[in-house]
Amino acid sequence: MQGWIDSLIRGWGQDPATWPWTQIVYVAFMGLFAFIVINFAAITAGIFSWAERRVAARMQSRVGPNRVGPGGFLQWVADAVKLLTKEDLVPAEADNFLFRIAPYFMMVGFACVFVALPFSHRLVIADMNIGIFFILAVTALIVVGIIMSGWSSNSKWSLFGAIRSAAQIISYEIPAGMALMIPVLLAGTLSTQGIIRAQGGWPWQWFVFDNPATFAAFFIYFISALAEGNRTPFDLPEAESELVSGYNTEYSGMRFSYFFLVEWGNMWVMSALASTMFLGGWQIPGVSAAQLDAMTGGRAVAFELLSLAIFAGKTLFWVFVVMWLRWTLPRIRVDQMMNMCWKYLVPVSFAAVIFVAGWMLVVRAAPAVGTVTHWIMFLAAGVLPAAFFINRVARNIHDTGDKFDFTSNW
Amino acid sequence: MAENVTTQRQTPGAIGAYVKNVRDTAKSFWEGMSVTLSYMFRKPITTQYPDRVPVPVRDTIPPRYRGFLEVDMDICTACQACERACPIAVINIDILKGDGKITPKLRMERFDIDIGKLRFVPDPLVPAVPYKPPKGSDAFPRRALGEITRALIAAWDAPPPPFPSKEQLEGDSGAAHGKPKPAGLDPTAMGRQLAAKALQVKEDKPKLAKVFEEAMAGTDCGDCGYADCKGYSEGLASGKDFSPEKCAPGGADSKAMLETILVSLKSGKVPEAPAAEAPPPAETKAPAAEAPPPAEAKAPAAEAPPPAEVPAPGTDAEAPPPATPEPGDRGPLR
Repeated sequence: MQGWIDSLIRGWGQDPATWPWTQIVYVAFMGLFAFIVINFAAITAGIFSWAERRVAARMQSRVGPNRVGPGGFLQWVADAVKLLTKEDLVPAEADNFLFRIAPYFMMVGFACVFVALPFSHRLVIADMNIGIFFILAVTALIVVGIIMSGWSSNSKWSLFGAIRSAAQIISYEIPAGMALMIPVLLAGTLSTQGIIRAQGGWPWQWFVFDNPATFAAFFIYFISALAEGNRTPFDLPEAESELVSGYNTEYSGMRFSYFFLVEWGNMWVMSALASTMFLGGWQIPGVSAAQLDAMTGGRAVAFELLSLAIFAGKTLFWVFVVMWLRWTLPRIRVDQMMNMCWKYLVPVSFAAVIFVAGWMLVVRAAPAVGTVTHWIMFLAAGVLPAAFFINRVARNIHDTGDKFDFTSNW
Repeated sequence: MAENVTTQRQTPGAIGAYVKNVRDTAKSFWEGMSVTLSYMFRKPITTQYPDRVPVPVRDTIPPRYRGFLEVDMDICTACQACERACPIAVINIDILKGDGKITPKLRMERFDIDIGKLRFVPDPLVPAVPYKPPKGSDAFPRRALGEITRALIAAWDAPPPPFPSKEQLEGDSGAAHGKPKPAGLDPTAMGRQLAAKALQVKEDKPKLAKVFEEAMAGTDCGDCGYADCKGYSEGLASGKDFSPEKCAPGGADSKAMLETILVSLKSGKVPEAPAAEAPPPAETKAPAAEAPPPAEAKAPAAEAPPPAEVPAPGTDAEAPPPATPEPGDRGPLR
């Protein structure tokens, strides 16, 4: 980001090195970016809350909120205003200080992720050389907020939810971390931008189709991210039928809305991380990162926006998949959740890391093997399943005498 | 040897179960997600009644459908006859006398119909309350039953009205916010005014009846037992009737006013104002108390009324008595 600001100042006809107060300019820009990013996170979370209700409704043959604004799009604004104006209650027996401060821990842990999360070719707040490590570290702050809220509420439902959440998030950190190690191994860097640059624009150049182990690692990461974000089928910490609402049972008004902001905002975070690590990030098909670097003027802006659109498109697709999964799978039991982590995801992720380490030696000896595997994986694990799946969905519709109709009854 | 066999059999079994679990998971994802996605691309079954329906609502109602509940507010005089006639208290009407000016005209505060209680049992073509045309007209152009409801249904099916322009919006809000909210009538003050008037026209029975009628709701509902308000007021004026509580739509306000008039007619003077209005009358009363007793007889008629009486003769002289409004003049009731 500093380089970006420097180039901005140079474009203005000044030399940042000679300025006596460049540090102040950097700090001012940092504040500005922080403001933009927090607002981006809050607004996307709000929009996802509407999108999720529309997706859920259609998957259940309903219509969903469609009266406020075009297609009900402004529903989330109405809901946000309602939540912000509601009374902020603190239970009489609650630990007042911890109860009040817990949502902010969640917010901070969530917002810090955006520091290292890329948006496009040049647009990233800080391209740290420990990017992935930073993201994994700050997400752990969310657990602190959850345990705080559950403990301080002085309610058995909240405490149960918090303890479940702690167990779940700490368990799933391991497969998630191991799965994220695989792109790091392949790219040779922890920087998010560096990992994207190590991939290509075309699908067969993505890490997910690099070899069978990366393909497995992608799904291991995705499942673990679902669990860490407390999304269905891993929404045990807020299991409505057992725990009322889990760790946020006693919250109301603005503090309650923070929990939900974090939950929906996390959908963007997990999907953006998936597309960064495995799906080529903002890479434009047919345009290499070096060509993007060399561009100047209006052309650079146009391609910058294109890369932003590609990144957002990939991310939004996986956000949709997260919603789609929520309305497909029922909640699993606690023992099943633990089984899945420790008996399946953890061993497989370890095996995948070792496999990839060996695989890299093979590819270094014979690069042709790597290219061929890319193509085979793309066709066998990408195109074929997608074609079969689309066929299956079409059959599901037609076999019941129904027809494809996405546009009516909005 | 035996151990080897069992381990050889168990090991593939355990691995098989492990692999089977993974395969089952993948399969259930595959099947489940294909089903939910297929529903995503189908038409939702919800019918968005009544404004987004494939067939307009007016075309779906049978021609002899009778489940209409209609209140034609244009002809409603707030007489509350329907409220009293209803056996299961479906209708709730709150009225307030006075429309901000010193007139006994009725103003409707609430007209609620609890449709949950409504059973549509009586033949809706026969109104529960015998219909009477309003004063001064032979008949009222009554709308056909169902017309209002059908108009409402047509409004659902029609495209929404255009968004009001800025000028319209400002004009409306200005009109709505500019006017002070009409306050309720003060029955005590008005009762004393009317009593003073009644004392002046004590001997003239038709004029006295008019004064009595001003204290009534003026809906001609017939609940008092007389044919209309005129009959009741004539009965009071001629001294045949002494009960002030018969005007049902007027309620407690009318009762208080009629009582004040009757009492003052009997005692020959207007009763004194209550403590709340003490200051202005106290000043006028002070000279009256110092004056010799013969002046006392004149004082209530000549001096006591001024604080409240001054506007009344002016309005009464120019405008017709408010108790007999024009047939179309029912502004505050709408």
